[in-house]
Amino acid sequence: MIELEGISKTYAKSAVKAVDGLSLKVDNGEIFGFLGPNGAGKTTTIKLLTGVLRADSGSAKVDGIDMAASPLEAKRRIGYVTDNPEIFARLKAAEYLNFVADVYGVDSATRQERIGKYAGLLGIKDVLNASIGSYSHGMKQKLLVTGSLIHDPENWILDEPMVGLDPKSAFSLKEIMRERAASGKLVFFSTHVMEVAEKLCDRLAIINKGKIVFTGTLAELKAREGSDESLESIFLELVDDGEEAAS
Amino acid sequence: MKVFLSLCALYLRSFYNLPGKRAPGTKPGAKELLKEAGLLLVALLAVANVGFIFVMLNLALYDALAPAGMQGMIILNTAVVVTALTLILGFLTALSTYFLSDMELQLLSMPIKPRALLGAKFVAVYASEAAFSLGLMAVTMVIFGIKEAPGPLFYLWGILASLLLPLPVLALSYLVQIPLLSLARFLRNKQAILVIGGILGVVLAVGFNLYFQSGMAHQADPEWLAKNFAGPDSLIARLGQVYPPAQYAWRAMTAPASASGAAAILAMAIACLAGPALVVALMSGMYAKSLIGFNESHLKKLDAGDARSFIGRRMRSSSAFLSMVKREIRLMNREPIYLLNGPLIIVLMPVIFAVMIIVQRDAFLSDPDMAGIMALLDSGRGALVAGLLGGFLGSGTSIACTSVSRDAKALPFIKSLPVRPADYLLAKLAHALIFGAAGSAVGVGCLAYLAKLGPADIAIGFLVAFGLSSLLNMGGLWLDTASPRLRWDSPMAALKQNPNSVIAILGSMGLMGLLGYLSFTLGLGRAEVALWMGLAPLALFGLLYAAFPRFAARRLAAMET
Repeated sequence: MIELEGISKTYAKSAVKAVDGLSLKVDNGEIFGFLGPNGAGKTTTIKLLTGVLRADSGSAKVDGIDMAASPLEAKRRIGYVTDNPEIFARLKAAEYLNFVADVYGVDSATRQERIGKYAGLLGIKDVLNASIGSYSHGMKQKLLVTGSLIHDPENWILDEPMVGLDPKSAFSLKEIMRERAASGKLVFFSTHVMEVAEKLCDRLAIINKGKIVFTGTLAELKAREGSDESLESIFLELVDDGEEAAS
Repeated sequence: MKVFLSLCALYLRSFYNLPGKRAPGTKPGAKELLKEAGLLLVALLAVANVGFIFVMLNLALYDALAPAGMQGMIILNTAVVVTALTLILGFLTALSTYFLSDMELQLLSMPIKPRALLGAKFVAVYASEAAFSLGLMAVTMVIFGIKEAPGPLFYLWGILASLLLPLPVLALSYLVQIPLLSLARFLRNKQAILVIGGILGVVLAVGFNLYFQSGMAHQADPEWLAKNFAGPDSLIARLGQVYPPAQYAWRAMTAPASASGAAAILAMAIACLAGPALVVALMSGMYAKSLIGFNESHLKKLDAGDARSFIGRRMRSSSAFLSMVKREIRLMNREPIYLLNGPLIIVLMPVIFAVMIIVQRDAFLSDPDMAGIMALLDSGRGALVAGLLGGFLGSGTSIACTSVSRDAKALPFIKSLPVRPADYLLAKLAHALIFGAAGSAVGVGCLAYLAKLGPADIAIGFLVAFGLSSLLNMGGLWLDTASPRLRWDSPMAALKQNPNSVIAILGSMGLMGLLGYLSFTLGLGRAEVALWMGLAPLALFGLLYAAFPRFAARRLAAMET
């Protein structure tokens, strides 16, 4: 379970609040979609949630553990896929996975089983001996996904995970998400792809200019807006309203 | 033309990491100004260092040649040196910037003429060549100008000549590289180029050192200098004779006010501009084609059985801290720019010193100062000198003082992991200490071999070297944790253009000099050296180490990338 309570963040070199008093609660067993236009505050929120950034005010809790008070305990319960897979180009994929597994204290037999499973599902099992620098963007993304699941986290947080994935891998990723939610684990992901959110999410939140403009199910969103149109159309209207209100 | 100029500006900014235009109304902060002033000072120091050697050599040459009325030969010497050095530097720069990044592929997709692409890159590489050439020629112009009072045209022709001299050699570099990289597929890889360029750079640096040391060794022997640097059979004179631009520069500058001087500079301009013009006109298409598919990599895939056994064999648990240290070592040693400017220093510096000692052996042995130094080493100071040398080598790897900056891209990911900030940063320290110990051993070992030190001196020397290098590495880590360079495009910027590495090296030099001075002034014995220069730095290291975790946690939490 993750819980954000009145969380705000302003970057050091900016006067604008990237995230402004945001509150959100996601329960176990849910697939939760986090939507918003570019620069809305999605990645900042995820970074606050995963302990990458320090909040100016408010709190982030993971399974009831406060990220600021007990960061190591909270982080152990998270698997995180960053929005930028361009890291550790000089390491081999196997070295990267071993590093992550060592940090989470995963024993040899368990890591072998999980790497075999997820690297196989995502189609990178045969290139684990290669350097990450020789991977394509999509392959790096798959490697990050595999690494994020190596300790079987209760809370899986993914920032734009579909970017660069081929259709087969995107399908496999969605299947893994469903499988984890079905086993009572939480999946929280940000995306620009409305169709994915529409088909996959149990609940979703829309963020614009650092503030949540909606939280709930798709049906609740349609009821609130009095519209039976697609999520894409409603999303565009909501975001446009936000723009107009701001101007 | 507009496209060409825009490309020139783009390449110049990328090559030299120039800042963009400041937003209107914004002013640089005090910290930014201080950093810029520091970098300028360091650049001046580096230039002054090379410049000093060149000034001394030119002065000695002038004094040797003037009695025979051959002082004009120092101009030919400079023209040949400029040509040779710009050929070396230009070749390496052209090679290392042949394919800058994937930005090149983006440019290929735009409606840009290949001539503009190659021409702009040529201009960007040429900019540093021209500055270097002008700097060296300025030394000769000032010396010759003061001694001979040649008139204003001498300076004008000198400036023109120094700007023209790098052009044909740079054109030659591209003339060789474009067909080579078009044909040799394995070279069309940034990694391969960096490795080859690095090895070539090391070889050429040693060769350059050899050239200067051979001149400096005979600084007090005008006859030798005149014969070897300006005599009709000297390499310089022979090169000058077969290389027309150097000849033209010499003729123009030795007879600046004459018609033949003007004719020589005109001929030089034609000769020097023809090369780049021909290369850009005729080889641009081939160059643009050679960029296609650059950096393409091929993955070696395992079959199902091999993949299974690979996972079983390679996916083994180890301690988290050890895993972090291994990650540090791999990330540094596998990035050619980092390896060459970091850990390899431990090997490279002793090699350069060895060249100096071998070449200047006779001069060293006959130098009265050297006799004094040998007497000092024999009288129990060997441990101190070895310790200071090893300490400098062990702290000169730039590992700790750039460790946070080098990891800037990975910080968000690292910060999401359940790792104590202090452990993450202390893994970086462990990496630096491993190479610190290696550098200390190499430095002390080299001096122990040369000065035939006994076991006690070697042990004390290593204690001093390791104590000092550990303290300096700890200081470097504090520095880069306090003020890391978190935003950069090229890995080079995190190390070579990082003020922290410059501060650390200058600080190390200063500390070694100060400790050497103090120990000689205070007449410290072996035991005192061991106590004050070995154990005391280790104690100070311990204090900094104990205070580090809280500082690390606070700083890492505040880092926003």
